[in-house]
Amino acid sequence: MPGTRLISDYLAALSADLPGQIVEELADGLDETYHGYLGRGLAPDAAARAAIKEFGEPRVIVAAFTDASHSRKTARRLLAAGPGVGVCWAVVLITARVWQWPVPVVARVLFGVALVTVIGLLAAAAFGRHYRLVCRAAAAACAGTAVLDAVMIGTVLAAAPVLVWPVVAAVALSAGRSAFALRNMSHALTG
Amino acid sequence: MRAEELKGHLDALLLAALEDGPRHGYAVMEALRHSTGGRLDLPTGTIYPALHRLETAGLIAGSWSVVTGRRRRVYELTAAGKEALSGKRADWCDFAAMMSAALEGGPCPEPA
Repeated sequence: MPGTRLISDYLAALSADLPGQIVEELADGLDETYHGYLGRGLAPDAAARAAIKEFGEPRVIVAAFTDASHSRKTARRLLAAGPGVGVCWAVVLITARVWQWPVPVVARVLFGVALVTVIGLLAAAAFGRHYRLVCRAAAAACAGTAVLDAVMIGTVLAAAPVLVWPVVAAVALSAGRSAFALRNMSHALTG
Repeated sequence: MRAEELKGHLDALLLAALEDGPRHGYAVMEALRHSTGGRLDLPTGTIYPALHRLETAGLIAGSWSVVTGRRRRVYELTAAGKEALSGKRADWCDFAAMMSAALEGGPCPEPA
C-alpha cells in the first residue's frame, strides 16, 4: 500500500537517529494520525502524506529529542562545572609548584590529551545535533571525567599530601563531579 | 499559534492536557487542539520530546501498555506535576492580568 510505504520510509528516517523505544512511540502516534485522516475520507497515500506533514520533518523531531535528552543536560552541567573545578586545581598545582614534581613528561602529555579529548566529547554532547552521537559522546565524557578526577585526586594526595583549603576544595569538587558523572553515565547511554 | 510563540508555555499546556487523566502522545495533542479551538500549530512529532523532557523532570510519569496488539506509552501527572501546573496557572493568571491591564482599551485585531 503506498500510504504505509511512505510511513515506513518516514519511520526508517527517524530510526537512523533515535532509539527503538522512541520510534515505537512515534509510530503509534503516527499510525493514529494516519487512521484519523483515513477516517475523514482521504485515500491511503493522501492520508499518509497528511499524517507525515502533521508530524513534522524527521530532522526537527530528532533535534527536539536531542535537546530534551538526559545526555545533553548532563554534558552541559559538566561543561558548566569545568571552569570552577579547573580553577581550584590550578590554584593547588601552582601553589604546590607542580613543575617540580617527579611526574614523567609522557604522563603529563597523556593527561593533557585526555583532558582535551574529554572537553571535546562534552562539547559534542552539549551542542551536537545527532541523538546517538550525543548519547555516546556524553557517556564517554562521563567516564573520562571520572577517570581524570580520580587521577588528579590520587596524584595530588600522593605528591603533596597537605590538607590546605585549596586541596580540600579541589578534591571535594572533583569527587562530587565524579559522582555526578558516574551516576549519569548509564542514563547518558540510553538518552 | 506557532511553536516559537509557545516557548515557555508548552510545558504548562502539556501538563494541563494531562490534568483530566492519563493520555498517550497523540491524545495529548488532540486534547490541546480541542482546548485551543484548533489554533495550536505545532508539529505533532515535537510533542513527544517535550513529554520526555517533562518525564525526566519528574512532572509526569510514563508507562507502556498494550492497545489492540500495539505497545503504547501513556503519561500521567505526578504529584510534582500537579504542583507545577498549579504554579504555572497562577503565574499565567498574573501575567495575563498585567498584560490585559496594560493593553486594555485597544481593539483586538481579527486573527490572520
